[in-house]
Formats: sequence, structure tokens, C-alpha cells
Amino acid sequence: MVNIILVLYLIVIWAAVIFRIDRFPLTWVPMYSVYQPSETISKSIKDKAAMRKGLRVTHRDGSISYVSYKDLNIPKPNFKRLYYSRIFGTAPPKHKQGNTELGALNRLVRGLDEDEPNFSVDWEWRMFWTLNKTLRFEPADPKFIVRIESSKQRRIYKKADLAKGDASKVEIQTQQAVIDWQNQWVKRWNHGLL
Amino acid sequence: MAFCKSASRIWNQFFFTGFSGESLGLLRMYIGVGLLFFHTYQFATVLTLNPIGAMYYFIEPIWYFKVLGIQYHVPALSFLMYAILMSATIAMILGKNTRASIVVIILCIFYLKGVRDSFSGDVHHRYIIPMQILFLFLLSKCGEVLSRDARQLHHPKEVQEWEASWPIKTMQLYVALFYFWSVIAKVRVSGWVWFAGEGRIQEVLIHRSIRWGVNDKGEVLKNALSFELAQHPDIIQVFSILVLAFELGFPLILFIKSVKLRLAFVLGVTSFHIATFVLMDVNFLLIPFVYLIFFDLVPIHAWLKARAHQILGRPPATAG
Repeated sequence: MVNIILVLYLIVIWAAVIFRIDRFPLTWVPMYSVYQPSETISKSIKDKAAMRKGLRVTHRDGSISYVSYKDLNIPKPNFKRLYYSRIFGTAPPKHKQGNTELGALNRLVRGLDEDEPNFSVDWEWRMFWTLNKTLRFEPADPKFIVRIESSKQRRIYKKADLAKGDASKVEIQTQQAVIDWQNQWVKRWNHGLL
Repeated sequence: MAFCKSASRIWNQFFFTGFSGESLGLLRMYIGVGLLFFHTYQFATVLTLNPIGAMYYFIEPIWYFKVLGIQYHVPALSFLMYAILMSATIAMILGKNTRASIVVIILCIFYLKGVRDSFSGDVHHRYIIPMQILFLFLLSKCGEVLSRDARQLHHPKEVQEWEASWPIKTMQLYVALFYFWSVIAKVRVSGWVWFAGEGRIQEVLIHRSIRWGVNDKGEVLKNALSFELAQHPDIIQVFSILVLAFELGFPLILFIKSVKLRLAFVLGVTSFHIATFVLMDVNFLLIPFVYLIFFDLVPIHAWLKARAHQILGRPPATAG
């Protein structure tokens, strides 16, 4: 009996590796495995005051307010990811990892075309779903959020400069994210993310 | 035929020898103590929330939340789950309803990790090894030694060597493979360039040093050591080769008989995790507690016990 358990266990953990299954508690890859050389390195400038204030939102009745991590009751680091990444359409690193070099076998197993990503999430819709549902706004409510905004500044360096210890040559870039509610999403509303 | 026989002998020799029932019982206790700290460290952010505050709808629920239809967070429930998790871990350490306690721990981790990772969709891997260890404890007879469960039995059956060894050896194998797979994954998605002096390690060092900002003179405000190191691709190349060697060579620990050599290996790996935490903010700092699985804890426990009695000025209790 124990031998059967051992063989099954080994089959399962190795199958996860071969078929690139990264679903807790199975994995095929640790973090930081993806490396795609680039000439520049950029970093968001964290604006603590703006982050504390939160995402700027416009309600259906035209009023404007801010939604902070306290309003959503989530940890600050997670809110930071909504504020600086998800609203800009940037997926978590795990998605990038799961989409990189998937290989013919794993594309075949998942029924994916050559350029089709393994992970693909419509972050704009998710942002509206998350904020409105958490704050208990339904699409017909006057307080329903129809626009979400965030902005960030990025410092962009040339990797070659940094590798020589020169961090003085920097280009500052401002990025603005403005996403609007689309009425076609009403159909999805009752199904949520499931 | 001869091959089958020898494969079977190697298999049996590896999985079914080497540890006693007492070793398994002690491992359960020590890993349990490590888990008490690990849980708190991992779920601290969830415990900062307002227990009666807003119920957040997850932006990207973890896969099993999707399957179960869990879409939102009930903050008070997380506090309750944490309390249950800690109680169940203590019960596991004491060996009280051991199997049931382990099931409860596993369920609580699934829930709390699911919550933490669903807030913004960032899935972390820090619980993978502890979860595999808990799963193997669950299948084992770890609750039948050095436990309250055993004391309640009038004629407890002795746990045989093979019964105690296979779960521990499988844990060892999993941990060794986890590191070995890291190389496979890096080569699969990035190629050997990952290990170049100007590859991924240098990039992470730079990212982690400039993330806190730069002053007017162009000096980084924090993590200056990481920034300095990033400017020396030759040194990084040496580190990369060390990472490659240690990850590829991790399975060798399964065959090292000398305790001192094994200890040296484990200390090396622990230093690696401390260094990656300090220089690169890679948060696997507490994971080395699982390396206890590579040692027979019976002599270590006896030594600790003797030391404790020495310090407290009491003679160690004799057996029987």
C-alpha cells in the first residue's frame, strides 16, 4: 500500500513539473525564473500620500471620491498592486511566468493556439467588479463607480549605466490610467468572476 | 530481472530505512514549533485588517476559491481561522488528535493563503514545502509516538523503522526536488542566460536597490550593498555558478551519510536564503526550519534536553 502511495505521489509531483501546473500545493517553478534581457530598467516612484488617498473614482451621479486600502479593508501591499499595476493592466509575475515559453506539448494539452496566452485576465472589468462589489454599489445605483483613475511616475534607467554604478542618468515618465465602465459588462455582473 | 531486484533493493533501502518512531514523533513536534512562527509571519498582513470592516471582493481568486465559489473575504473569519490554525498546530505538537489537527491545519492554510493571494492575484510559493510535509505527516503514524494520542492507548504498538522512515524520506526527496526543479524551470523559460553575470541576479539586485529611490548625487537611498554588488558581474557570475551547483546538486544531500557534511550543506542553503533576503528581498527567510527533516532529531533532542537540565540545574529524567 505504501509503495502505491509513493508511486502515485511521485507521478503527481512530476506531472506538475512536466505539464507546468502551478496550482497550490503543486508547482513546477519558483519565483524569479523568468529573465528577458532588456536595455532599460524602470521603477515606479512610490507616492505614499497619493497611495494613502487612494484611487480616484467617478460615480454615476458625477460625484468624485477616493477609494483607499482602508475602504476596501485589504493590506497596504495588496492595494499598492491594484494602484500601481492592475489598473494599468499589469498582471502578477506568476502570469508572466505561466505564459513564457509554454512549449508545444503544454499548448496542446491546454488547447492553446500559438500566440494565445495561458493566463489572460481582463483587469479593467475586474477593477470595477472589485471596487463596486466591495463598496456595495450595483450598476443601477447613482453611486456606482463608472471611472477609476490612477497615475504614477516611473524612473527609467539604462541598465548599462546602473551596472556601472551611475544612477544619475534617469528619465522620469508619468503614466496615467483612466478606465471607464462599459455597459456591456452588465451581463457579466451577476456571474462575477466565477 | 537483476535490474528489477537491484532497483527494488535501492528503493526499499532509500524509503524504508534510517529513522525510528521516536525520530518521526520528534520531527512532528519540531516542525510544529517552526510552523507557529511561520504561520504568523505569513499571515501577519491579513491580521492587520479590520475584523468588522468591508468584505472585499477578490480581484483574482485563487484557483480553489474559484472552484468553491468563494468570491469575497469575511475579515472576522480570517481571525477565527488564524486562531484555529494556531490551536491546531499546538495540538499537532502535543500529538492530541494528531491526524484531525493536521487536517485542520491544512484547511486553515488553504483558506488563509487563498485569502492573502486573492487580494491582488499575487500567488506566493512559501507554503508549498510546508504543505507537502504536512500532507506526508497526515499519511504517517507521527501521532503514535511522543504524543497524547499514544498515552491514551493502553498497549500502543511500536512504530516500525519502515513506517517512520518513508514519510521522512519522501519529505527529503520533495525538498531536494523542489530546488532541482528550480534549475529546470530557469532553463526552460529563460535559458542559460539566467545564470550569466549580467543576467537575472544582477537585474534583481538593481531592482531591489533602486526601488527606494536615489538622492541628488545619484546614490541609492537603501540597499547600497546590492547596488554595489550589481556592478561586479564577475562576482555575480561566481554566485550564479554557486546557485546552479547548489540547486542541481541538492539531491546529493539524500546520499550524504555524514551528519557534519549534511549540516554544512544545510547551513550553506540557509546562508543562501538569508543572503537573498538581505540583498534581493526574496522572502524565503523562515523556510530553513523545514531542513530539520534532513536530520535524526533523537540525539539532537537528547542533547538539548541535557543542556536545558544543566541550565535549570536539574538532572535529566531517566527512562522508564
